[in-house]
Amino acid sequence: MELNPEFDRYMDRYFDYKGQWNCPSRCGLKILTRKDGKTLAIATEIYRQNPGTPVTEWVAPLATQVMTELEETPENFIFVEHTPDLKSKLTFYGESFDLVSFGWDADKFINPKWTRLTSDQVNEMMEK
Amino acid sequence: MKFKLIYPRWEKLEGQTIFYLPPHGPVVMAADLPSYVEVDFTDENTEELVIDDSPDFVGISMMLTTQVKRGWAIADEYRKLGKKVIFGGISTMLHAEETLLHSDSVFLGEVEGRLAKVFDDFRKNDLQKVYNFLSNPPDMALIGPARRDILKKDLYYHKGFRMVDLFHASRGCIYDCYPCAVRYLGGRKFRPRPIDRVVEELSQMDNNRLFIVDNSLALDTEWEKELFRAMIPLKKKWVSHTIEDKDEVLDLAAQAGAWYVYQAVFDTSDYIRNRIRQYHNHGIAVEGTILLGLDNQTEDDIKRLIDFLLEINLDLAEFTVLAPFPHTKAYSDLLKQERIFDHDWDHYNAGKVVYHPKHMTAEKLTELYHYAWDTFYKDEPQTQKMFNLLSTVVQREQQDGTYQPRRRDLKDESFGKKVPKVS
Repeated sequence: MELNPEFDRYMDRYFDYKGQWNCPSRCGLKILTRKDGKTLAIATEIYRQNPGTPVTEWVAPLATQVMTELEETPENFIFVEHTPDLKSKLTFYGESFDLVSFGWDADKFINPKWTRLTSDQVNEMMEK
Repeated sequence: MKFKLIYPRWEKLEGQTIFYLPPHGPVVMAADLPSYVEVDFTDENTEELVIDDSPDFVGISMMLTTQVKRGWAIADEYRKLGKKVIFGGISTMLHAEETLLHSDSVFLGEVEGRLAKVFDDFRKNDLQKVYNFLSNPPDMALIGPARRDILKKDLYYHKGFRMVDLFHASRGCIYDCYPCAVRYLGGRKFRPRPIDRVVEELSQMDNNRLFIVDNSLALDTEWEKELFRAMIPLKKKWVSHTIEDKDEVLDLAAQAGAWYVYQAVFDTSDYIRNRIRQYHNHGIAVEGTILLGLDNQTEDDIKRLIDFLLEINLDLAEFTVLAPFPHTKAYSDLLKQERIFDHDWDHYNAGKVVYHPKHMTAEKLTELYHYAWDTFYKDEPQTQKMFNLLSTVVQREQQDGTYQPRRRDLKDESFGKKVPKVS
């Protein structure tokens, strides 16, 4: 994972992954070890800088890969999906955050469910 | 080797003028077939498909999501006869995992330079389950003239008038538009074809009227201008998606034969109004493409938008409701929010509502969709507006000597079928 402290509050490195059909793909990533000991991962969709599969379409394998590389356990791992504000005239490209919960199948996350969060809620999660 | 190539039928939208254009994917694919392959093509929209054991190998080319279920059913029949079936095309890529369940092989990506290996594998009885070139597009110079000779051309006439032929000058797109999957299908990089290869193909086409199907021509100004300059001597007349609205570009486009463009109209702004005016000032007509049911549209917004379309004198308008196709941001967003209630791919025809709109019920959006068509075409029906556009192009063709008269021998047929006589 390439660390770049100049990105922003929710992203401090790029994370490369093999997306659907092995397409080389990339997202932004921030990893925090919280005061309560849990690991919080925030994956950011980077649109044109992502040559392959978007975060949403590959969220379960992506979360599995991040967690595995961090040597974390599913119980101790929190995954948030972030789409940045593209400053578009269209409202679909505003900033959003979703807490993603998963089922667990032997060695991988499955069945993602998204719960919308406000930026305040995310900031609070980061401070815990 | 006998290769049966099939383009499955789909159900047309209720109440709309029905026409069929010669498909593009199959003719582009056929151009890369090895020379020993004898291809027999059936477009199921215009002719009946006879499923028998005569082909050695079967290919199914699919463009639309509304074709996939029919494509799978055809494949199931051939496989019962012991025939191997390979799928390719845009909607194969969009629905690859499901398509794998009905096929011996799926081809993902662009074919140029790749089919020799596929057919060699078939002959060795070593066909791969997946040929995946999604991340590895071919050199654009490899794209040669499409094999339009596989089409039964007489099937693409309506009462003696020939439909446009489809053509492409580039692939890929730098944008990530909300309802569009081109990012997944063609990649995020704009890849223009070399101009000399484009001209080579255009020069070989006997149809003077074209639809340039590129996602957008407005992605590289210098290439766009060079393309239009190169097209001027060919005297083709063409339809396309967006062109840049710079005067210099529009002037060249008009000289190169721009007939009308599809322009997305998403709001009632002066930006849209001025853009339509600019096209018209250069003698280029405009068909508005209007997507209904986006999260920023209320019932009032949609009604205002339709009034606006009438005010800005669009030449034609095409209304669709948002269809959340796989691999689009629309699909991702609606999936996250658990708003998609209908997963029957036959209903993803952009005329049926398959999700819960934000500001209204699905029923209300359906009602507004019909209201939009009815209101826009109330004073002048769609057929009349299309006839007006046709008259314009005929005049231009007569002026520059490229007019191809109506085929009298096909005047009583429409897309291969006899036109019922009105008594």
